Amino acid sequence: MGALLKSEWRKLIYARAHWGLLIGAILVAGLGTAVTPVILDNPDSGFGLGLDQTQAVDAVYANAISGYFFAIIIGIMLMSGEFRHGTAVATFLTAPKRGTVLATKLAIAAIGGMLVMVIATAAGLAAGWIALSFFPDAASPTNEVFINTLLAAVVSGAILGIVGVALGTLIRNQMLAITGALIYLFVIDPILLALAPDAGKYLPVGLITAMLALDIDAPEFGIDTSAYLPPLTATVVLLGYGAVFAGLAIATSLRRDIE
Amino acid sequence: MTTAIAISGLVKTYGKQNAVDNLTANIAKGRITGFLGPNGAGKSTALRCLVGLAAPTSGSATIFDKRYRDLDNPLSKVGTVLDSRGFHPALTGKQNLRVVAAAAGIPDSRVDEVLEMVELKDAAGKRMKNYSLGMKQRLALAGAILGDPEILILDEPANGLDPAGIAWLRKFLRKLAEGGRTILVSSHQLAEMQNTVDDVIIINKGKLIASGSMKEVIGDGSLEDAFLALTGGEL
Repeated sequence: MGALLKSEWRKLIYARAHWGLLIGAILVAGLGTAVTPVILDNPDSGFGLGLDQTQAVDAVYANAISGYFFAIIIGIMLMSGEFRHGTAVATFLTAPKRGTVLATKLAIAAIGGMLVMVIATAAGLAAGWIALSFFPDAASPTNEVFINTLLAAVVSGAILGIVGVALGTLIRNQMLAITGALIYLFVIDPILLALAPDAGKYLPVGLITAMLALDIDAPEFGIDTSAYLPPLTATVVLLGYGAVFAGLAIATSLRRDIE
Repeated sequence: MTTAIAISGLVKTYGKQNAVDNLTANIAKGRITGFLGPNGAGKSTALRCLVGLAAPTSGSATIFDKRYRDLDNPLSKVGTVLDSRGFHPALTGKQNLRVVAAAAGIPDSRVDEVLEMVELKDAAGKRMKNYSLGMKQRLALAGAILGDPEILILDEPANGLDPAGIAWLRKFLRKLAEGGRTILVSSHQLAEMQNTVDDVIIINKGKLIASGSMKEVIGDGSLEDAFLALTGGEL
């Protein structure tokens, strides 16, 4: 298992595309937190919150997690890349026990997703701090927002990495898997969350938001964080997603022939 | 004669079609065996079943009496070249081999050794997408010998090679065979095979149609004549 971990780690760090994803995640997180104070400071934004409120400043910092979708892309690329480039042949010839290979890949995807999220989120928090320093009247954030945001980054990064590997196993076409995941995260999940909040709060985006433990009521934007699950419950449900998708990935890879 | 590879009643079905149809064959230890057949005869499918990449519908294929997946550290026992894919195009040749070496617990110093053996040392730092087909085949061979295995399974290793590449491959395989390795090689280069292999297995439409030593199969003629006669002229 240690040898396989080393091999999968090398796959993660050797591919330049993965470093590109890390840079992308940093940019998205940084821009997210840097731009939000400007939007909130604009009285015409209609957001209902001003930077003189702690909730608003917390919301700025919580945006540091907005690069979460890069974690799922890393997971997808680690797995579907094996089929896209035919490296699955070498992988399974070297380690023919597919369950072990998949377990290792899931572990590395979790570590990779987590690292990307932690680095990007930390960069986002720093960018938010710099951006807010230009607004002298801004309220002070709560201490919890930093802890919650970094914790959400760790958990969501690891789980989305795992979910990505599972998607890459189920949908071997890399572009299709990535496009499908992004459409789900940015279109389907928010729509479900808006249309059926009782069910939507159990979906990934609702769970990640719940983990941030924000206290925001902005109905004009469809955001009422009091409707979300408690942070700990959200973490457990998100871990459940990870377990189900990991099981699916292992079950699928054990059955299918490798081309 | 010790059997290195035993294929027994192997069947692989895709839909209603038998890609491999009740194939039984033994490959002797320490000999070079040519695995021949027209395009679509089921050679690659049989080899994929042998190394566990495809699950047989029925029958078995074993290496030293074990299924491939049950071998301890298979790379140290069997080296396989199935096609020139199998390596990541954005990684260098050396990085690709280091990924494989790590998984098999092989030291990185061995990567440098095999790159030198296949004469790719100068291109080790080049990304694989910039390799020519011949270089990709050499890299695949380097991957196959990484674990210094006793058995080599090579599916069309000469595919796409120019005459110089084929000459290099012939020399390389002979050198490997001199070390007493068991080599199972599929190829369409019949003249080349006649001069290289000891034993021959010929299949057509998934079924075994001939097997034995080269002399037993071709008699006084050429391998090409025997092959065309046995397969009904399909090449």
